[in-house]
Amino acid sequence: MQHVIVFAEHANGTTRKVTFELATQARKLADELGGKAHAVVLGAGAGALAERLQAYPLDVIHVAQDDDVDNFLIDPAIDYLEAAANGIGPSVILLPNTMYGRDIAGRIAARLRAGMLADVVDIAVDGTSVRGTSPKLGGAAITTCALRDARYGVVTVRPNAFAAEPGGAAAQVVQLAKPTGKSYKMSIESNVEEASGELGLEEAPVVVAGGRGLGGPEPFQTLLKPLADALGGAVGASRAAADAGWVPYSLQIGQTGKTVSPSLYVAVGISGAIQHKVGMRSSGTIVAINKDGGAPITEFSDLVVVGDAFAIVPELTNLVRAAKA
Amino acid sequence: MKIVATVKLVPDPNSEKRIDPQTKRLDRSGAETVLNPYDEYAVEAALQLKEKLGDGTTVTVFSMAPERHKEILRKALAMGADDAVVLSDPALAGSDVWSTAAAIAAGLKKIGFDLVVCGGLSDDGSTGGTPGALAEHLGVPGLTNARHLECDGQRLTAQRETDSGYQVVATALPALVSVTMAVGEPRYASLKGIMGAKKKTLATLCLADLGSDVPAGDDGALTELVRVGPPATREKAAVVNATDGASGARAIFDFLKQRKLV
Repeated sequence: MQHVIVFAEHANGTTRKVTFELATQARKLADELGGKAHAVVLGAGAGALAERLQAYPLDVIHVAQDDDVDNFLIDPAIDYLEAAANGIGPSVILLPNTMYGRDIAGRIAARLRAGMLADVVDIAVDGTSVRGTSPKLGGAAITTCALRDARYGVVTVRPNAFAAEPGGAAAQVVQLAKPTGKSYKMSIESNVEEASGELGLEEAPVVVAGGRGLGGPEPFQTLLKPLADALGGAVGASRAAADAGWVPYSLQIGQTGKTVSPSLYVAVGISGAIQHKVGMRSSGTIVAINKDGGAPITEFSDLVVVGDAFAIVPELTNLVRAAKA
Repeated sequence: MKIVATVKLVPDPNSEKRIDPQTKRLDRSGAETVLNPYDEYAVEAALQLKEKLGDGTTVTVFSMAPERHKEILRKALAMGADDAVVLSDPALAGSDVWSTAAAIAAGLKKIGFDLVVCGGLSDDGSTGGTPGALAEHLGVPGLTNARHLECDGQRLTAQRETDSGYQVVATALPALVSVTMAVGEPRYASLKGIMGAKKKTLATLCLADLGSDVPAGDDGALTELVRVGPPATREKAAVVNATDGASGARAIFDFLKQRKLV
C-alpha cells in the first residue's frame, strides 16, 4: 500500500465535514507511505464539491457526475471506486464510519480483497504497515489492528477523531471514466427528507441529548434544541426517548443507535444505562444534568449537576448566547 | 421462498465488560453469550415477511459460531424460525471481515436462499462491514439499513434509512438486506414457541462440507490484532447540587469555560 484514497461522502450538495478530516489525514498518511493523496467524489454536484475539496491538501481528485450513482443504490459507487483504485494502484482507502461509509467500505473491501479496519480513532504507519486504533466492545476495549500486506486496505474513520486542516496546493481534478458492461438492480425510487438541515449527529462537535427525564417530545424542541444551537451542536436522545416515539430513531445514541465522540456531551435527564453509555463514553467532556445524583451516568461524567433540567437548561442557554454575543 | 437470517453470537451487551489490565484479555466473568441484539431485528424482519407471504415461505437462522454455543440459536427458533444451521470449525478462529464474509457466503450458497436478512452491526466487533462484504461475496444486491420491508417473492421493496430520512429502494431477488431497529421490536418467544423450538432442526456444517477453497479464519484474514487494552479512565466527576436554575446553569457554564468549551 502506497497511496491513499478518500471516499468523499456528501448529501444535498454539501460535503460531510468528516470528508475534510479524512482529506487532512490522507495527506499525512500518503507522505509517510511515500505516495499520493487522492479523493473520489461521485454523483450529483461532484464537480462543484471537488472544487471545494481543493482547499484541502490532496494531490488528485477523481470525479464522476453520473445519474446512475444517484438512481441506483451503492453498486455504481462501488464500480467507480474500484476503477479509481485500479487506476491509482496499491492504496489505503479511507471512508467515514457513517451509515453510508460503512456500506461502501464492506463492499469495496470484499471487491478488492482488502483488509478492513473499522471505526478508527487513530491511524499510524509502522514501517510499511498501516495500523488503526479503535474502541471495541462498546468502548470497553481499545484495540490496535494492522492491515496485512496486500494491494489494498480499507479503513473507516470515526467522525470528529481528526482535525480538518485546509492547506496545500490545489489538487488536480480528473474525470473518472464510466465503468462499462455494468447493469444495476437496486433502484432508488424516491428520497424522503425527515430531518433536513440538521447537523449530522455523528459529526457534531457538541451533542445535547435527552432521555426519559424530559417526559415527552416537546422539550427536545423547546429545551434542548436552543441549547444545542447556542453551543453549535446537535440534539440526540436515549433509547427510552426514541422508543417512546418522542424523537426519530435517527437521533438515538447508544447500542442499536449511533456512536458519537463530540468534544462536549450534555446528558439531560438520561440515567446512563450501559445501552446508552456505549454510544457516548468516548466523548471529550461529559456533563450530566439529572434529578437523581445516584444515576449511573454520574459514574462516567466529568460534571454532574443534580437539579431541575427545566430550570437549568434555559438559564444555561442564555449564558452561552450572552458569551457568544 | 427461503429466507435466511444471519446472526452472530456476542458477549451479553448488557453486562459490564472490562479488559483485565494484567492479562489484556476480556474479562468474561458474568458475561453470557447471546444473540447479537442487532441480529434479533433481522430475525424479527424475516418472521414478519414470512407472516405476510404465508405458506411456502421458510425462515432459516444461520450463524458462524463455536459448536458449544449452538444451543443459543434455539432462542431464534423459539421466536418462530423454522430451522437453524451453525457453521462451526476450529479453523474459523481468528476470522476478520474478509474471512468471515467469505465463510458465511460459502455456507449460504450451500444451504441456498432467496433472501438473506442481516443485522446492521455486531455489538462486539462493530465493523458494520459484514453485510456489504457478504453481498459482494454472494454476488447479489445488498440493500442496507432497511425498514418496512415488502416482498412478493420476486421483488423486495424497502425504506432505506439515511441520516436525514429515508429512500425507497426496490430490487429483484435473490438479494441481501440489512435491517435497522425500526423494523420493530423483536418478538418474545411464547411458551409454545419455546417448547416447539426443542424439536426443530439445528444442523451443523464444517468447512469441509462447503467445498470452498477460500482460506479460512486467521489464514484468510487480511488484518491482525496488534494490541488490546483498557480505555483511558475518566476522573471522578465533580458534583454540584443546584438549588435553582441559575446556580446550576452557572456551575455548568463556569466548568465549560474552564475547559475552553464555550
